[in-house]
Amino acid sequence: MTGLFKTRLQRHLREMAKYLRLVFNDFFVFALLFLLGGLGYGYSNMLKTLKTGYWWAPVVALLVLVIVAQIGRFATLIEDADRVFLLPKERAMHAYLVVARRYSQGLAQATQVIAVFLLAPFMSVTMAWPVLSLVELGLAQIILKDALLRLDLASAYQVTGQTRMNRWEFKWLLSIIVLAAGLWTLPLVAVGLALILDIAVAVWFAQHWQKQQIRWREQIKIEDNRMLGIYRFFNMFTEVPMLSGTIKRRRYLDGLFKLIKPRHDKFYLYLYSRGMVRGSEFSGLVVRLTVIGMLLLYFVRGEWLPVILAALFIYLIGFQLLPFFQQYDDVVFTHVYPILPAQRLKSFVTLITLILSVAALLLWLVVVVANPHLMTAGVTLLVEVVEVWYLARIYTPQRLARSIENRA
Amino acid sequence: MALEVSHVVGGYSQIPVLKDISFDVKDGELVGLIGLNGAGKSTTINHVIGLLTPHKGTITLNGVTIDQDSQAYKQQISYIPETPVLYQELTLREHLEVTMMAYDLDHDQAWATAHELLKTFRLDNKLDWFPANFSKGMKQKVMIVCAFLTQAKLFIIDEPFLGLDPLAVNDLLNLIEDRKKKGASILMSTHVLDTAQRYCDRFVLLHDGQVKTEGTLSELQAALPEAGESLNDIYLSMTKVDRA
Repeated sequence: MTGLFKTRLQRHLREMAKYLRLVFNDFFVFALLFLLGGLGYGYSNMLKTLKTGYWWAPVVALLVLVIVAQIGRFATLIEDADRVFLLPKERAMHAYLVVARRYSQGLAQATQVIAVFLLAPFMSVTMAWPVLSLVELGLAQIILKDALLRLDLASAYQVTGQTRMNRWEFKWLLSIIVLAAGLWTLPLVAVGLALILDIAVAVWFAQHWQKQQIRWREQIKIEDNRMLGIYRFFNMFTEVPMLSGTIKRRRYLDGLFKLIKPRHDKFYLYLYSRGMVRGSEFSGLVVRLTVIGMLLLYFVRGEWLPVILAALFIYLIGFQLLPFFQQYDDVVFTHVYPILPAQRLKSFVTLITLILSVAALLLWLVVVVANPHLMTAGVTLLVEVVEVWYLARIYTPQRLARSIENRA
Repeated sequence: MALEVSHVVGGYSQIPVLKDISFDVKDGELVGLIGLNGAGKSTTINHVIGLLTPHKGTITLNGVTIDQDSQAYKQQISYIPETPVLYQELTLREHLEVTMMAYDLDHDQAWATAHELLKTFRLDNKLDWFPANFSKGMKQKVMIVCAFLTQAKLFIIDEPFLGLDPLAVNDLLNLIEDRKKKGASILMSTHVLDTAQRYCDRFVLLHDGQVKTEGTLSELQAALPEAGESLNDIYLSMTKVDRA
């Protein structure tokens, strides 16, 4: 059974590595460095303005640590078919789940350590904690996370009947008790409490699991949701085939569609615009990229940097939208209906122009707000206009005309 | 002569599935395309609707081929696929509207037809539904409503009877009858032979990529006197010849 987990883990890691390579492309690393640099700079500036003895400092620390303690989920890699094929092996599944928990520790504990490490300067400034206390607090955080993951493992079984031990309210409550005790008394108290909790759950679970059934359905659902979250994250940067996206009516946007007259030559504009807005796949991409770009531009200063970043984001959005042209290729009517391919291309170009213009406008507004130089705002606008025009009117038709030819 | 398929060799790849096929569908005629799984029915239909290009031979629709004028050719065709395909992001109302746009139909007149059709197929209260909410049979009805919204000269219907409730089958047959009277031609592939026998004017029996026999029921009976009376018997004997 541990062998099964290892095989699955290898496959899982290979898949993750594939996506991570796509996510951490040169551009994104570049953007990330800026973002981290900016945030780090802001953080250090903020620390300089702080003094020791604010009443709210431990509250902020508590909030951060409690939230961070919930990060890092129990990754079981359980699949839907398991409840049929592994059902006869239910007792042996225990070894599988134990290994799964051990694996889940890795990322979860790394997150805890990094969080405590980042919080340490804040606490040493505002609460005047010595290094030793901070290390002890870090230890408490790690043991607490261990206990929380143990609760997740225990909840894979029906050990407590219908109520689950890993309900979020319960986990939050435990985290708050343990960490608050540490923050307002001595950090060693938190270590002690976390240890007691961890051992108690371990002992109790060891005595009970043999007599209990695994909550297959629930575990499968939890794992599916976990993977969905991961895929959603990757989907921000690249296309994830497992994620076909959901369709929402978005009735409040019907007014927008009314602007498109139901005429023969508007067939594809009618179709594409609705597909774009109601499907989450591409509209989500546009929204996410625009929001990330706006955030980034808000923090970035400089004469040329905003111009380059705005241009990069528009390029990125435009480029990612190109596959939407083929969205309806598997609907036979796309080919059977008497519509000239040229009309399809024209509608697509109109749509791209519209989307990129809106994105460009939003990015530009942030540049105007964030930068005092009129020059930068002016140049950004100019570059954006030229870029949108080139991407939508020149590049897109050329590129797609080639793909139409290849098909014919 | 509405549709004329002449000496068509074709298929999905270089290996031909159809080996020199010829048949025609006249104005106001319902022709049944009959054959086993893999006989080439769907391939034939895909060639007629223009999804596939023949390696050899021509397909003419009222004097136009798809190469001469794809618009004029496609304008005359309305197609109902075997498995319903819909635009996932469009509601039923929008599917109808899109169809009207594609065929450049008069808005008011087309909607009048649409409402009638929707009522017939009991879809009139589901105009704002998405395809995801429709059952398979309902999706098929949506396909039928969209197809018969047009004033096409040739209707191509791929296996319409499976998945439809008996009432809908009856309504569809009435629709076909009505369009035939108005001069439209229908090419229909099906396995439901007793229905085909009752409604089709002529039959094209495909086997292994070739037209085995062709004609009205009485012509088929005359050609295969041993086979039996019904289309079912003739069809079975045709497959037996090959197995022996």
